[in-house]
Amino acid sequence: MKMLVDAFTIALPVLYFGTAWAYAKAFFKDSVLAKKVKTPFLLLTLAIHLAYLLLRTVLFNHPPITTIFEIMSIISFSIAAAYAVIEFQTKVKNTGYFILILAFIFQTFSSVFIENLYEVKPILRSNLLGIHVSSALLGYAAIAISAVYGFLYLMLYHHIKSSRFGVIYNKLPNLETLEKMSMLSIVVGFSFLTIAISVGLIWLPRAFEHFSYFDPKLIGTVFIWVMYGVGLGAKRTIGWQGRKIMILSIIAFAISFFSLTIINVYFSAFHKFY
Amino acid sequence: MNLVAVGINHRTAPLEVREKLWMSSDEIRNAVTAMKGHPFTECFIVSTCNRTELYGVYNANGSADDAPPDINGLKDQLIGIKAPGGAVKREHLYHMLSSNAIRHLFKVASGIDSMVIGDIQILSQIKDDFNLAYEEKTTGPLLHRLLQSTYHVGKRTRSETTITEGAVSVSYAAVELANKIFSDLSKKTALLIGAGETGELTAKHLVGRGIGGIFVANRTKAKADELVAGLGGKAVDFDTLQEMLNSVDIVVSSITSDKYVITKSDVQHAMKERSNKPLFIIDIGVPRNIDPGANDIENVFLHDMDGISVIIDRNVQKRKAEIPRVNEIVLEELTEFYNWYNSLQVNPTIHDLRTHFEQVRLEEVEKNINRFSAEDRELVDLVTKRIVNKLLHLPTTNLKNGNEETEEEKHNKLHIVRSLFGLHKHQSPKE
Repeated sequence: MKMLVDAFTIALPVLYFGTAWAYAKAFFKDSVLAKKVKTPFLLLTLAIHLAYLLLRTVLFNHPPITTIFEIMSIISFSIAAAYAVIEFQTKVKNTGYFILILAFIFQTFSSVFIENLYEVKPILRSNLLGIHVSSALLGYAAIAISAVYGFLYLMLYHHIKSSRFGVIYNKLPNLETLEKMSMLSIVVGFSFLTIAISVGLIWLPRAFEHFSYFDPKLIGTVFIWVMYGVGLGAKRTIGWQGRKIMILSIIAFAISFFSLTIINVYFSAFHKFY
Repeated sequence: MNLVAVGINHRTAPLEVREKLWMSSDEIRNAVTAMKGHPFTECFIVSTCNRTELYGVYNANGSADDAPPDINGLKDQLIGIKAPGGAVKREHLYHMLSSNAIRHLFKVASGIDSMVIGDIQILSQIKDDFNLAYEEKTTGPLLHRLLQSTYHVGKRTRSETTITEGAVSVSYAAVELANKIFSDLSKKTALLIGAGETGELTAKHLVGRGIGGIFVANRTKAKADELVAGLGGKAVDFDTLQEMLNSVDIVVSSITSDKYVITKSDVQHAMKERSNKPLFIIDIGVPRNIDPGANDIENVFLHDMDGISVIIDRNVQKRKAEIPRVNEIVLEELTEFYNWYNSLQVNPTIHDLRTHFEQVRLEEVEKNINRFSAEDRELVDLVTKRIVNKLLHLPTTNLKNGNEETEEEKHNKLHIVRSLFGLHKHQSPKE
């Protein structure tokens, strides 16, 4: 079983690269073959990735959420899976490259640095932790996707405004659809973050002696949550739309990314495991 | 093959010359009737605003080496029908023979020979004009089959290439652009300012794409009412433009005016009123109707003729890139057509006929041979062979001795024999 895990560790970045490449070929070069194989290839990659995560859980006797590189593999999976759901839901099939390239990057980092740990801290074996981490990751994957669509929206917006009618204009879906996809991702992301924070607030005080409501990471995460909540509310009530809300979605993601990385690594006290 | 094509198009003559040879339906009827018999056994004429072409099958019997009819005479004859005055000269016309003529017709049908590459009108025009000749009984088996292949070229071009895709006219390009901004036009409304022709066409295309509602504002209300009657929208007062800007999603403006009909501050004001909902404005007026500065406002997409022509140029380039693929289709269909044509020759038909009879004989002999005693079996084989040979002797001789017949009669005869006995194996498998 260990051999299989090791083989998958090497194979996954290759598979993600292949998938992203097929989507790129379909988007930029209009390749008929790429258009045909890209979605099945994505599903195959996802299936192998899921098997890999399950195998790791069984083999090392803990879910792969204990080191940052294990987490990265899950982030990669969440992004690709969330994209697959969006593709099936919206039937917009040609924006995958911009999202799957993220999955490829995360999985590559994970595969290069991941270690096979059999021993983990007892605190990280909790079931609540599983829910907390997985919903947080799905939430972050969703807001990452929303930022990608926000970015695509802004690209197309400026191309149309300045009468540049190239590949971007040709291949991207219309502005309204991109905005909808970005907003849908935010709603999904916000819901998962809500779950992650609720579970976290139940679990953290019980699990840690040095728990503090003023931990920078906790504040950061709640800030992100409030930010998205206010944004969604403003969209509903004031009717913000178009360019402005797409810029907000990108800024919000940038702040979230900052919170997830810099604050987590340098400032967090008790809420830091890696 | 005794086929000749003579014609004039946008490549060989300017519009003022081409239009002199344009023929109405009645003129086409008269012309094909006059040419049937002499010099042609089958013929038809296609006439559009960009081309007039005559296709004829001539009977080469009696002349040396299948020599074609006098081309200059044909050109004069075609010119003589409409413009005997001398405005149209022989140099304005081109001619093509046999496979070149077929290839040309296929190219015309595919749209790559059109002035606007990929123009889809031409195929139905060919159909209509061919029907005129058909009704006048100047068409025969060769042209029928040729037209069948021509339709096939047109259909395949449309389904297998993208040569008809992408807007290449102002009105279509405007609608294409609207589709890049909005996802569902049926939930949007549009305002047409002015009654210019391009604006009207754009409005028509928007209606064709299912726009949710359309309003027309014009300085003369009567003209707006007239337009609305054709479009199925609603005429509004010219003074209510500002109000309309607050609610509609698409504005198409093509009015003659020395100053801007809509200023930047008008749009700014409207965007506040409509809480920043995206607004798409097409300005096809010359001079421009709408302050170009309005494009700086967030969620406003203002495009004038310059922007639209960028789209059109790009789409023309994309269509041009498909030409090699279309040429492949033309070549495939040409080969297919020649396969059919060759199968109509006498010897292959006789061969097919004999094979068919022999097959039937063998099947029956095999099925029943056990009913005969061993010594009789050879005799059965011999007798049945004789019957078949005798039955086929006269038809074979008659098919071979067709020298007195015209090309058309020969074709008709072979065609009948082939369809009577179901001898289709030389034809394309799709038939």
